[in-house]
Amino acid sequence: MNMSPNELKEGMEKLGYISNDEIVITTYLALKMEKPLLVEGAPGVGKTEIAKVLSEIFNTDLIRLQCYEGLDETKSLYEWNYQRQLLKIQLSQNEQCGLQEKDLFSEEFLLERPLLKAIRADRKVVLLIDEVDKVDEPFEAFLFELLSDFQVSIPELGTLTARQIPIVVLTSNSERLLSDGLKRRCIYLYIDYPTVEKEIRILQARVPEAGEKLRKQIAYAVNLLRGEYDLNKKPSIAESIDWARALYTLGIGELSEDAINNTLNILLKNREDHVSLQNSEKGVRGILEHLHKQVAPQ
Amino acid sequence: MGNGMIMIADAPPIFSNLAGFAHILRHLGIRVSTAETLDAINALGYLNLTEREQVRAGLRAMLVKNYREHDAFDRAFDLHFAPEEEKQRRLEARRQYTEEMERASDQAGEELADTMEASSEVWGKEVSESLNLTSEEKETFARLPRSKKERFYEFMKSFQANPVNNPSDLIVQTIKASLNYWRYQMLKMNTLQVQDIERDPTGIEELDEVIEKVVSDIYDDWDEELIYRDMKNIEEKDLHRMTVVIRKIARKLVTRISRRYRMSKNKKIVDIRHTIRKNIRYGGIPLDLSYKTKRIQKPRLLLICDVSASMAQYSRFIMEFIYSISEVVDEIESFVFAEDLEYVAPFFKSGNFTRAMSLMVESSKQWGKSTNLYAALDTLWRDKRELLAPNVFTIIVSDGKTLATEKTATALARTRGVVKDIIWLNTLPRRTWPAQKHLAAFRKYCAMFECRTLADLEKIIGRLAA
Repeated sequence: MNMSPNELKEGMEKLGYISNDEIVITTYLALKMEKPLLVEGAPGVGKTEIAKVLSEIFNTDLIRLQCYEGLDETKSLYEWNYQRQLLKIQLSQNEQCGLQEKDLFSEEFLLERPLLKAIRADRKVVLLIDEVDKVDEPFEAFLFELLSDFQVSIPELGTLTARQIPIVVLTSNSERLLSDGLKRRCIYLYIDYPTVEKEIRILQARVPEAGEKLRKQIAYAVNLLRGEYDLNKKPSIAESIDWARALYTLGIGELSEDAINNTLNILLKNREDHVSLQNSEKGVRGILEHLHKQVAPQ
Repeated sequence: MGNGMIMIADAPPIFSNLAGFAHILRHLGIRVSTAETLDAINALGYLNLTEREQVRAGLRAMLVKNYREHDAFDRAFDLHFAPEEEKQRRLEARRQYTEEMERASDQAGEELADTMEASSEVWGKEVSESLNLTSEEKETFARLPRSKKERFYEFMKSFQANPVNNPSDLIVQTIKASLNYWRYQMLKMNTLQVQDIERDPTGIEELDEVIEKVVSDIYDDWDEELIYRDMKNIEEKDLHRMTVVIRKIARKLVTRISRRYRMSKNKKIVDIRHTIRKNIRYGGIPLDLSYKTKRIQKPRLLLICDVSASMAQYSRFIMEFIYSISEVVDEIESFVFAEDLEYVAPFFKSGNFTRAMSLMVESSKQWGKSTNLYAALDTLWRDKRELLAPNVFTIIVSDGKTLATEKTATALARTRGVVKDIIWLNTLPRRTWPAQKHLAAFRKYCAMFECRTLADLEKIIGRLAA
C-alpha cells in the first residue's frame, strides 16, 4: 500500500467517510504494518463503515464475518459437507470402488466460511470481523493464530497461511471486555461521537439534499441530546443521518417543535428515552432554544 | 516536537524515550507489553516524527487498548514528550519542593520533640529522647494543620505521671499511633480513584515526576465524574443522577450477563438419543446431527452490608446496584449489619428501591451504629442457616473495621466452607490494607476487592460475571 495518510484521508472523504487525524493515522498504520485494526465505539459511529470504505478504496472484496454468541469454527472457518460425505460413502459402497479417507477430506467436500475465504483469497481482501465482543472467550482465543500469523490450522489439511495478507478490521461495541491477547495483536482505534463540526460535514457528505440550515440544526440538536439529556441510548451518527433523510423526505427544511416530536422515533429508539425527554425540565423546547442560539437564521 | 531524554544507559535516544514512556504508562495502570512497545517503535518508522499529533495518535493506537485510559495517556504524553527546558524546569521545581518538605518535616519533628520535652518536667525529656520519629511520621506531622497540632499538644499535656508508673512509653506509643492514624486518613483522601494505579516510584526521577503529575491531575478531574467519585462523597443534590448512572451501568451488565444464560450454540457433544430420533426419516443414517447444550444456572446472591456510620452511604449505593441487576440472578437475599444482623430482603420485594430503602432505614435498629461482623455472621448461622448453600455467592460490603477480629476470621472460615464463594467489597483503599493486620486473616477466606466508586463496582461485578 503506497498511500500517504493524506491520500488515505482524501480517499475516505471521496466515499463520504469523514474522519479525523486519529482515525486516518491509526488506519494508515494498520495498513502499513499489516496488523489487524480493532475499532471500538458506541453503535452507529462508523466502525463497520471503515471496512466498507477500505474495500472500495482498494477495489477489493469485503468478506464479512458477523459475530454472535455461540459462533464456532464450523460457521466461521470451515465445515466438511457431512451429508455429501455420507452420500459419497453410500454410493461407493454400491459401486464397490476403493474409497479412501483422504478422498472424503478433499476440496470437493470443503465448505469455506469467511475466515478461510479470506486466507485463501488470491488477492488482498478486506476481512471484517463484526461485533467481535459478542463471541465467547474460546472463539476469541481461536482467532489469535489468525490475527498474529494470518494462518489457520485445519487438522485434515494442515496449516494454511494466507496467500495475501488480508486487511483485517474487527469491530466491538464494548459489551464485553476483550481479552488482552486479542488486543495485543491489534492496533486499537476508539471512535467517539463526533463534534458538531464533524457531524455537519458528515451530514453534508451523506445527506447533501437536506439544506445547510437543517444539517446544522440536526448536528447541534443531536449533540445536545447526547451531552445534556440523560438518555439510555444516545443517538448515533447513523440515526442522525436517518433523521436528516426523514426530515428531507417530509419536506421539512427547519426544525420545529412539531417536526421534532413527529420524528423523534427515528432518533430515539427507546420508549423510556421518549418519556424521559418529554418529561425533562428542558424537553423539546430546550432543544429549540439551543438551536436558536447556535444556528443563525438564514 | 519535544525530545525528553532519560537516563537509560547506552541505548539510542528514541528507544530510551519510548521505553521510559512505556514504563510511565505501566505505572499509571496501563498494561503495555514488550511486544506492543516493539510495535510502537516500528510504527514510528512510518510516521512523520516532526508532526506531534501524528506521533501521539500512532503511539496511542499501539500502546493503549482501552479508551478509558486515553486521558492518562494524553497527559503522560504531553508531560513526557515536552521540550527539554520545560522538563528541567519541572524537575527543578520538584526537587525544591522535596527539599522544602524534608526541611519542614525535620523542623516539625524537632518542634514535636521540643514541645513534648517542655510539656512535663517528669516525663518530657524521656519522651523527647525516645521518640525517634521516622521520616514518614515527621512528614505526617508537618502536614497537619496548626489547629490540629495545638489540640494534640493540649491533649498530651494532660498526661499525668503517678508515683509508681512512668508514662513515657505510653506517651511515645500514643504519639506514634496518632501519627499513624493521621497518615492513614491522609492516604485515604489522597489515594486515587483508579484501580491498579501504582504510585511506587520507578527510581528514575524524570519518570516519577511525570507519573506523580498525571496522577494528581487525573484525581482532580475525575472527581467530577460521578462514576469515579468516592461514594461517600456523593452529595444530596447528586443522588438522582447517581441513581440514573447506576441503572445505566446495571443495564449494560445485565445485557452482558444475560447472554450467557441462553442455550449455548457451541456444538461439541453429539446427543445420541436426539440424533437417532431425528434421523429415523433418513432410514437411520445420521444425516442431521443433534448436539448437547448446557444451560448455565443463574447465581444466588447473599448480600451482607455494613451500615455502621462510616459505611452507610456505600451500602446504600451498592445495594441499589445489586438490586438493579436482579433480573440476571436467581435470588437476592439481603441483610444489613452493624452491631448485629437484620434481614431486609422483604423491603425490596416491591421493586421501588428508593421507597424500600427509606422504609428500611427508618425501621432499622442498626443504621449508623458500630461494627461487629462476628455477631452478624453468628446471627446468620443461628437464624438463617438455610440461606448458606453451595450455589450461593456471599457478598460482604464492609471496611473490615470490626470488633472481635479473630472470631470474625473463624466465622468467615466456617461460612466459606458451605457457600460457593465469599466476595468482600472493601471500601478502604487497597494501599491501606497492610496497615489493617486483621484483613490478611479475612482474605484467606474471601476474594477481597477495593470498592469505593461505581467504576470499581462495575469492574468487579463485570469480572465476576465473565
